[in-house]
Amino acid sequence: MRLLQNIAKVYLRFLSRRVFARISVHWFDSNSPERLSLSSFLGIYLSMVTKISIQNLRKIYDTPERRVHALEGVNLNIEDGEFICLVGLSGCGKTTLLNMLAGFVEITAGTITMDGRPLTQDFDKGVVFQEYALFPWRTARQNVEYGLEIRNVPEEERTRIAQDYLRLVRLEEFADFFPHNLSGGMRQRVAVARAMAFDPQILLMDEPFGALDAQTREELQELTVDVWQKTKKTILYVTHNLSEAVYLGNRIVVFVPNPGRIREIVRVDLPRPRDDLAPEFIKLQRHVNDLIRDF
Amino acid sequence: MQTTEAASVPPSLDEKKKEVRSPIWVKLRPIYPFIVILAIWQVAAMQAQGNQGRLFPTVDAIMFRAWELVTDPLFRALAENPNLDLMGYFWKLLESPILLHTLNTAWRLPFSFFIAAVVGTIVGILMGRFAFWESFFVPLLSVLLPIPAIAWTPIVVIWSGIGDQTVIVITAFASFLPIAMAVWTGVKTVNPVWIRAAQSMNADKMTIFRTVVLPGSLPMILSGMRIGLARAWRAGVGAEAFAGIRWGLSAGIFDAQEYLDIAFMMVALGILGLFGFVLEKVLFQPIESRTVIRWGMMEAMGAQDKKV
Repeated sequence: MRLLQNIAKVYLRFLSRRVFARISVHWFDSNSPERLSLSSFLGIYLSMVTKISIQNLRKIYDTPERRVHALEGVNLNIEDGEFICLVGLSGCGKTTLLNMLAGFVEITAGTITMDGRPLTQDFDKGVVFQEYALFPWRTARQNVEYGLEIRNVPEEERTRIAQDYLRLVRLEEFADFFPHNLSGGMRQRVAVARAMAFDPQILLMDEPFGALDAQTREELQELTVDVWQKTKKTILYVTHNLSEAVYLGNRIVVFVPNPGRIREIVRVDLPRPRDDLAPEFIKLQRHVNDLIRDF
Repeated sequence: MQTTEAASVPPSLDEKKKEVRSPIWVKLRPIYPFIVILAIWQVAAMQAQGNQGRLFPTVDAIMFRAWELVTDPLFRALAENPNLDLMGYFWKLLESPILLHTLNTAWRLPFSFFIAAVVGTIVGILMGRFAFWESFFVPLLSVLLPIPAIAWTPIVVIWSGIGDQTVIVITAFASFLPIAMAVWTGVKTVNPVWIRAAQSMNADKMTIFRTVVLPGSLPMILSGMRIGLARAWRAGVGAEAFAGIRWGLSAGIFDAQEYLDIAFMMVALGILGLFGFVLEKVLFQPIESRTVIRWGMMEAMGAQDKKV
């Protein structure tokens, strides 16, 4: 149903664009052929489903000793609502890619487009960091409200939205706690709520649960899938942990270093909730492991 | 999942209060060292004979002198005019020398410290924010900081004469330097992850400064204020003595030296000590317990965060 609605919406937008194009084209060239063909519509539809398109991306750092090719020739199309995991050994550029998307690092060459337009610095993205990046002088609720304050959302609405997102990460009753009174896992849950509260277009997560113990990490993985299924956000998730990648992702992008590049993109079609002890799960995990190590 | 997380909830405030309640002799522990020192003093002073006894008064003599210093003008006035009204009592009490000395120090010092805090914070922020002002002020401050502020007193006395203004200038200058340095350090060393987090939510520079850098550097700023107050205290007390003013606790101490009034000196010194203690209690501790301690930023500054 949702898909049909979506297609109808996009088709309408397409029509209106075509009408506009016809008028503007008429202005200059009255002989231009104008046909509303299904094939051209499909092409445009696919390009609109693609949320982020990364083409020939390259990043070079110049250090005093040598030139580091952090990323070389990276091509990746991310669909709207996809859950993408980036895995690879240290120094393979996966965090660099995330930082470029977040706007923390400049692009050396290549393009990143979002909804067909070049990425600007201030597009709405939520970032969850590996370190505890909550503001210690704000309560959990005030932390979640931060992004909304920046966008001048009125106070009542802010409180309501913050409450909703705290409920989403199951921390309602801790809304008025300061971060230092929360456990590591709870802090990262608040961080997830904070990154999502202002309804960003994509969510970038850089090993968000790397510093947590195994049990807490499993809980938060399950919670992340739950949040993703409820909000249908596009998520890019960097991790070292292959089992985590197979558990979470729709697709796993495998990076290899020197220079940092994509080796393969593995599609994960296992039904959710995924069982990390199932033979197919382990088989996939082994496959990804082999990709990372033998090249 | 919720149950396991609920187990890590810190104990509620009521429970904490129960733990803290302790018997009176535990609460009074901080004053034990003073009792011991006073006892030793008393025993030693009682050994002093004759003229020596005048130079080394016993604790009870000091206490009596303190009482005398406070109430002497009042009793003298009462002897002249036994029908003093309530306001009369009050005014006569205010005339007592020790109170006059104390009050003079008590307004001059916080006033100068306030000026220093305002100017120091502004300069520190300028240094932290703009590279030009940083390179402008850092050499200046590094040269000025090691010079004891009291050393400026003769010059300031020549320029601005004998009086309150000299003491205020010296005191404010002395505490301005460490405050500016601390604010600068605080602004420069704010955890970069917080700034990135704010950036990722598209906060502009001014907003980041207001909502992240300022609260984030508060622990450093407060500790700078503390050092500033300590230095203001030292410089102010010294400047009082050297600027040749009439009223002020240390001016009083140096006066008393002329008359060998040891008891007065001891009382004045005691008040000076008490002053610092009261300022700490009424100024810094409430601010800290409401901000950085409540936010858990003091422990984070010292040791690594325990709850990982």
